[in-house]
Amino acid sequence: MDCHDCHQSCQPKRKNTGWKLFGFGSKRSVKNNFTHSSQTTIALVGSPNVGKSLLFNLLTGTYVTVSNYPGTTVEVSKGNTVIAGKKVTFLDTPGMYSLIPITEEESVARDLIMNEAVNLVIHVVDAKHLGRMLNLTLQLIEAQLPLLLVVNMIDEAQKLGIWVDENQLAYQLGIPVVTMAAAQKVGLKKLIAKVADYVQSTPLSVTY
Amino acid sequence: MSSQLLYPSPIETAISRIESLLDDRLENQISRRSIALLLLQKDPTLRSQLRQEPYFPEIERIVSETQAGMSESLTFAIAESRHQLAMAIEQDVTIQPQQQRTFKHEWLHQLTVHPVTGIPILALVLYFGVYQFVGVFGGGTLVDGIEGFFESQINPVVNSIVAAIVPWQVVRDLLANDYGIITLGIRYAVAIVLPIVTTFFLMFSLLEDSGYLPRLSLLMDRLFKTIGLSGRSIIPLILGLGCGTMATLVTRTLESKRERIIATLLLALTIPCSAQLGVILGLLSQEPTALLVWATVMVAIFLGIGFLAGKMVPGNTACFYMEIPPLRLPRLKAILTKTYVRLKWYFGEILPLFIFASVLIWAGKLTGLFDLVVRRLEPVMLWLGLPKEAAPTFLYGFFRRDYGAAGMFDLHSSGILAGQQLVVAAVTLTLFIPCIAQLQFMFKERGIKNTLAIASFVILFAFSLGYMLNRLLTIMELSF
Repeated sequence: MDCHDCHQSCQPKRKNTGWKLFGFGSKRSVKNNFTHSSQTTIALVGSPNVGKSLLFNLLTGTYVTVSNYPGTTVEVSKGNTVIAGKKVTFLDTPGMYSLIPITEEESVARDLIMNEAVNLVIHVVDAKHLGRMLNLTLQLIEAQLPLLLVVNMIDEAQKLGIWVDENQLAYQLGIPVVTMAAAQKVGLKKLIAKVADYVQSTPLSVTY
Repeated sequence: MSSQLLYPSPIETAISRIESLLDDRLENQISRRSIALLLLQKDPTLRSQLRQEPYFPEIERIVSETQAGMSESLTFAIAESRHQLAMAIEQDVTIQPQQQRTFKHEWLHQLTVHPVTGIPILALVLYFGVYQFVGVFGGGTLVDGIEGFFESQINPVVNSIVAAIVPWQVVRDLLANDYGIITLGIRYAVAIVLPIVTTFFLMFSLLEDSGYLPRLSLLMDRLFKTIGLSGRSIIPLILGLGCGTMATLVTRTLESKRERIIATLLLALTIPCSAQLGVILGLLSQEPTALLVWATVMVAIFLGIGFLAGKMVPGNTACFYMEIPPLRLPRLKAILTKTYVRLKWYFGEILPLFIFASVLIWAGKLTGLFDLVVRRLEPVMLWLGLPKEAAPTFLYGFFRRDYGAAGMFDLHSSGILAGQQLVVAAVTLTLFIPCIAQLQFMFKERGIKNTLAIASFVILFAFSLGYMLNRLLTIMELSF
């Protein structure tokens, strides 16, 4: 690829129309198809009940069941959307606490990020329990997965008197961080902008 | 990455030794450092993946050497370093309140989980949410209304239109009359199952979004421990009240294989699905004693079988660990969307099956196969003290739980099933076989062996219990 479709892209995005044709196959055999495609796959991961499914619904405009208890999602859901002119596939995963799974549904998410080609991992955490949840963030950083941290439920945290310094956190971890209240759609635009940055700036290959 | 996490030096040494051993061709998305750390924590999946590699024994040696040189377990040491850094970062980037502040509704949380107040609250939820709303309103008022409308307005019209257009009796029977696609299949789906399932899903979505369910798990944990389950498993079991198929899938969230088997068994045996529950509550609500007998028998079997299974299925009792999310005021729009999506899914699932069932019955009648099976079932019905007209209902139940429940409603409204028979039929049908869809998911989740064992146990148990209950009620001379 000679054009990286960077921010100040000098050329119009050429590939979009062409890849639509391949869109059919990509749903069934994700693994084989998108190693060579310009399509971006983004996985939402995190502890149970932090709002991954709600965020997935907001990002993709589809609906997967959202509830207020851990373990609502037991299988991976896929949803497509277009960000920055590119087709982006979001994956909603069952919750996991750590890279070492305890229950069956936790291993679903782990297998996904370990074995399948995921271009970006969005780790969603609950702002109320940041310290406890950063454990997994640290493991994902260790794994050198391209990572974006979403600190969700910032509204509930503020009610408890907890304030999170987004920039400081991003600086300490060395990854982009977005604070959100997904149920109120607060921070959604910021998140999409960050994802767009990523989609536009990466050569989109699966080797890092 | 700016903040690289450093572990105690023996672990760091082990990491670099393992990293240098790992194959270049290793097809993993994650870094070698991560892989090395997972191996040091004895991650089972990764170990079995690498077992064949020539360098695996060397890795094993490094792991045990490192472990020998440490006072605490490797897993603990690794987790501890991570935890320290995570906490340090949290300290650095957040302003925490001076004293632990709690949500304003903390008292409400306490009320729901304390046994003294929690159990009355549960009773209220069951009485108003399930009994009054789903049973009496959904299964009674709504079903009677829509079903009556169907019987008096739609069916006669359909019958006469079909009779006018279609000259062949065989095709007429396929579409209309007693077992037709429209007059039976669609009527069951729309007039009986739809109102019940709608009211149930509405109520259930409300409970889900409020955060009541995890608190119920906490409340029930001790009781559930006695039957070999943790409080965690209450969620799949309650989901089972909506649809056993969905719930069988959700048993994945349980920790041990043992828990998953017990929960699957209890789902197949004792937990009625929403359509069954609604019809049974709706029918029995007119006779409180009958309802009481049904409920007592179900609870007793649930606890009894759970207790026995807890003793018999090998494995250790699971410990209970679950995030307790805050109580939230549910948003109406979220509840309506969720109910709508679930209904759409449910109907997508059942409508074709109901239609297919009508066709199957029609074909069975045409070939005489249906009558043959029904005739075989008739002695069983008599043995249970039921009228022989109940046989087709049990056959429907085999096919779909909700279909069988709808059949029971039909029998009752035509006056065939009453009093003691109604109780026996309700109990047997609730216990009786998980429907085809649920069986399918059991195959998928638990494997053939477990599924066959559970299914054959369930069938035998259902009929023997129905028989015993009938005898018992006769001896006790209970009248309803």
